[in-house]
Amino acid sequence: MADLLNIGVSGLLAFQRNLATTSHNISNVNTPGYSRQRVELGTRPPQFAGAGYLGNGVQVSSVQRVYDSFLTSQIRTSTSTNGQLQSLYSYASQVDNLLADSQSGLSPALQDFFGAGQGVADDPASMPARQVLLSNAAGLTDRFQYLNQRLGDLRNGINTQLQTTSTEINSLAQGIAKINKDIVDALGSGGGAAPNDLLDKRDILIAQLAERVAVTTIPQDDGAVNVFIGNGQSLVVGTASNTLVTAPNAFDPARLEVAFKTGTTTVIISDSLTGGTLGGALQFRNQVLDSAQNSLGQLATGLVNTFNAQHLEGQDLNGALGAAFFTAGAVQVLARSSNTGGATVTATITDANALTVSDYRLQRNADSGGNANYTLTRLSDNTVVATYTPVLPAALTGTVPAVDGLAVSWTGATAMAVGDSFLIQPTRNGARDIGVAISDPRKIAAAAPIRTSKSLNNLGSATISAGEVLNSADAALLNTVTITFNNPPTTFAVTGVAPNPSPVTYTSGTNIAYNGWQIQVTGTPQAGDTFTIQQNTNGVSDNRNALLLSGLQTQLTLAGSSASYQDLYGQVVAQVGSTTHQADISRQAQESLLGQVTAARDAVSGVNLDEEAADLVRFQQAYQAAAQVISSSNSLFDALLNAVRR
Amino acid sequence: MRISSTQINQQGINAILDQQAQLSKTQLQLSTGRRVVTPADDPAASARALGLTQAVTGTQQYQTNIDVAQGRLGLEEGALSGAGSLLQDVRVLALQANNAALSNGDRVAIANEIRQRLDELLALANSRDAGGEYLFAGYKGQTQPFSQNSSGGFIYNGDQGQRYLQIGPTRQIAVSDSGTDVFQAIRNGNGTFTTKDNAVNTGSGIINTGTVVNPAAYQAHNFTITFTSATTFDVVNNTTATTILSAQPYTSGAAISFNGIQTAITGTPATGDSFAVTPSANQDVFTTLQNLANALAAPVTGGSTAKLNNAVNRSLVDIDQALGNILDVRARVGARLNAVESQKNINEDFALLTATSLSKLQDLDYSEAASRLNLQRTALEAAQLAFVKVQGLSLFNFL
Repeated sequence: MADLLNIGVSGLLAFQRNLATTSHNISNVNTPGYSRQRVELGTRPPQFAGAGYLGNGVQVSSVQRVYDSFLTSQIRTSTSTNGQLQSLYSYASQVDNLLADSQSGLSPALQDFFGAGQGVADDPASMPARQVLLSNAAGLTDRFQYLNQRLGDLRNGINTQLQTTSTEINSLAQGIAKINKDIVDALGSGGGAAPNDLLDKRDILIAQLAERVAVTTIPQDDGAVNVFIGNGQSLVVGTASNTLVTAPNAFDPARLEVAFKTGTTTVIISDSLTGGTLGGALQFRNQVLDSAQNSLGQLATGLVNTFNAQHLEGQDLNGALGAAFFTAGAVQVLARSSNTGGATVTATITDANALTVSDYRLQRNADSGGNANYTLTRLSDNTVVATYTPVLPAALTGTVPAVDGLAVSWTGATAMAVGDSFLIQPTRNGARDIGVAISDPRKIAAAAPIRTSKSLNNLGSATISAGEVLNSADAALLNTVTITFNNPPTTFAVTGVAPNPSPVTYTSGTNIAYNGWQIQVTGTPQAGDTFTIQQNTNGVSDNRNALLLSGLQTQLTLAGSSASYQDLYGQVVAQVGSTTHQADISRQAQESLLGQVTAARDAVSGVNLDEEAADLVRFQQAYQAAAQVISSSNSLFDALLNAVRR
Repeated sequence: MRISSTQINQQGINAILDQQAQLSKTQLQLSTGRRVVTPADDPAASARALGLTQAVTGTQQYQTNIDVAQGRLGLEEGALSGAGSLLQDVRVLALQANNAALSNGDRVAIANEIRQRLDELLALANSRDAGGEYLFAGYKGQTQPFSQNSSGGFIYNGDQGQRYLQIGPTRQIAVSDSGTDVFQAIRNGNGTFTTKDNAVNTGSGIINTGTVVNPAAYQAHNFTITFTSATTFDVVNNTTATTILSAQPYTSGAAISFNGIQTAITGTPATGDSFAVTPSANQDVFTTLQNLANALAAPVTGGSTAKLNNAVNRSLVDIDQALGNILDVRARVGARLNAVESQKNINEDFALLTATSLSKLQDLDYSEAASRLNLQRTALEAAQLAFVKVQGLSLFNFL
């Protein structure tokens, strides 16, 4: 009877535990990361009673959480990738919308500008047409600056995001370290029983960490979990945690990088960080933002250089040679903060057509064979594009051979030290620095500076072309030059060129070039026929240069004569568009993958209320039955008492 | 497979959110009318669309340029047509004045009228467009092209520049002609040579303007036909100082041929009279008219009108040359107007084609989008309905 009572009580206690655990499951149905728990029951050790072993009731052997560590780590990985793609997509789509917007994009401004150029060609003496060109030029430069400003805002946004995300990561790391300690303690005091809810809580913190940056975890024997990021930087080791901080880039103090801090040493680890919102932000900055800003700068720089070159070959309404139409800034050169030499590096653009969107690095390598060794590396493909190896000792000044339309030279009070390096960004600030150089509409050089004429006394049928300027810097450009045909008219004499050339053989239609211009005489001249090339004084109705300027719109003047301005802009838009498109597709794929993994985990660990309801009924019934056992035991005892009562 | 309660809930909500996202995208497409809302929707198409948009706006600009070109060419056409009919009138006046029956006074009256017409012609040559630019000044649009110097000669202050406009992607068209080409570069005489009586001739010989009969034999030399008696003449090549014909018998109206040319003298030249045959030079149309007026204004003395007739004959042929030149220029202007018109049609076709491609590239197929919207709406409603139905199911309801 005492056995029966004991057995009944063991059932009551066990089913109470079961009911409590079921209630716990029901209560936590909406708790994120919660793994349902199950009470493991077992029989108590049986008792030998002569005839055999008698059962001794039930006991609770453990409370387990239903958990699959493989699925949990899959979720972690998926969460990181998903976070990275979401972050990349949300940033990239901002650039995407910015560039393509028919109001804010560059295309309309570019078209308006060249349309106004045609307006000047239509009526070169008209001040309103010229004024419109200047206003539209200002509109175009404003648009460049606006786009660049918006990209700059995104750049600042990334800096802020790196700071806040690092702080969040640090507090998560501290949380994980603290729970690690709690778990180790609980395991010790619980005699090895798993503290299920603490384990769940730690998994949640690690999942939150994985949303921000990709992590790898290694469980320890004592129950703690070590967390690593990047190339194995240990963020959490047992019960201790390290911190992430932001540090300025070695070249560009305005560009923040993520650094790993252990004790007093700080190492920049941006390049090795992937996954999560942090990885997405860094990827966006490296792959989309830098190249979009460089491409926009390439376009602005190309426009400034090609348009100015043509404008210089013209003549304005005052009769003066054209001056620069647009202004541009200097090429940005950033010295690494750890440089020890005294050299200052200057880079200039020599050929806008050859310019690439890449950044470059100039560095002085270790001396070899009695020579100093300087190299210029193109960072887009990490190729050394120019080297300079002067004999030692290294001079204070130097220059590497011009390459990719870029000339790089340096000078300073002391020489560049071995190991010094400089970051050269030829196009980064092109869109920021573009401006309109002229404000007086009369200074638009719509005319050509020279004009040609044939003498009225000419008897032959030869004609002279309108001429074109090859080099507006030629000092003798505006000198009056006459071409007089000799007898017989197979040769001609030229005056006005220093020194005057000896008789030149005449071939109809060939180029005749002197003093920085070029003309053609076509047809059959007669002896004594003369042609004159002279300054285009009062040529206010001349639109030759305006036509050439407008013609630049469709000419392939950039990216190695492969693209017009519009083409280049189209390439930027397509590039950003396809990156965004790709990020969107991967994001959707990753989202559904994450959904699947989450469903798989929930299938194992999630709480199903119907199941719990059934369990509730089951355990309730079992509890009632166990209570009935006690009641039976009581009846049996009563029967015995009644039997012996007198 | 077990399904957790949260999962059932989440799945339902995810389905609804997905449907809503798709619906919202279709709604955006319908409200903007564009298939490609951002470049990410179709990167290749949007880059191409940028290029096509530039082609469309570029073509619109060419059409604007064409309007400007038509305006300018129309103005030039008008001025040239005015100059042409003016010269026709002067020609009639010259023929009228060549009549021996007229008195000196009548001729002076005609000369005065011709001077009036000369001023008119000068005004036409100095025409300006609406912006105040001179049409015939070449590049020097703000310099009056033709003026008279103190000695009464006509000078051209413009240059030989010709303005072109861009009327197609690869097509430029001239929209002006310089004053030199229109009014100045006109060969006098018959275009190859001129015949002129000597101012001191006393006879009544009248030389005609002659023709080139054998271009291969023609040399641009100066010749003089000198009457050695009333019935004989010599022809001397002044350039080489050689007598090429000597003591030729003279018959009034008979052909005189040498150097590949042919001319004839009528009337009775006196001994010692001479006529010069010289290669043509350029003579501006104003000088031509002035010469005519001067010749008519000079009184005829001594009864013979030979001097007058010779001068008027010369002027007539000069006027014909000027008329011919102006007609040439007009024909060129007309050809350009035609070319501009046909380029306008080409541009219109191109703009239409481009706009069609652009539309195909980025515009929305409304019927497709509308039926898609309908489908997505139905799907969303189904997802919502399913969510509500499934959420109602719980074993606890039955406990």
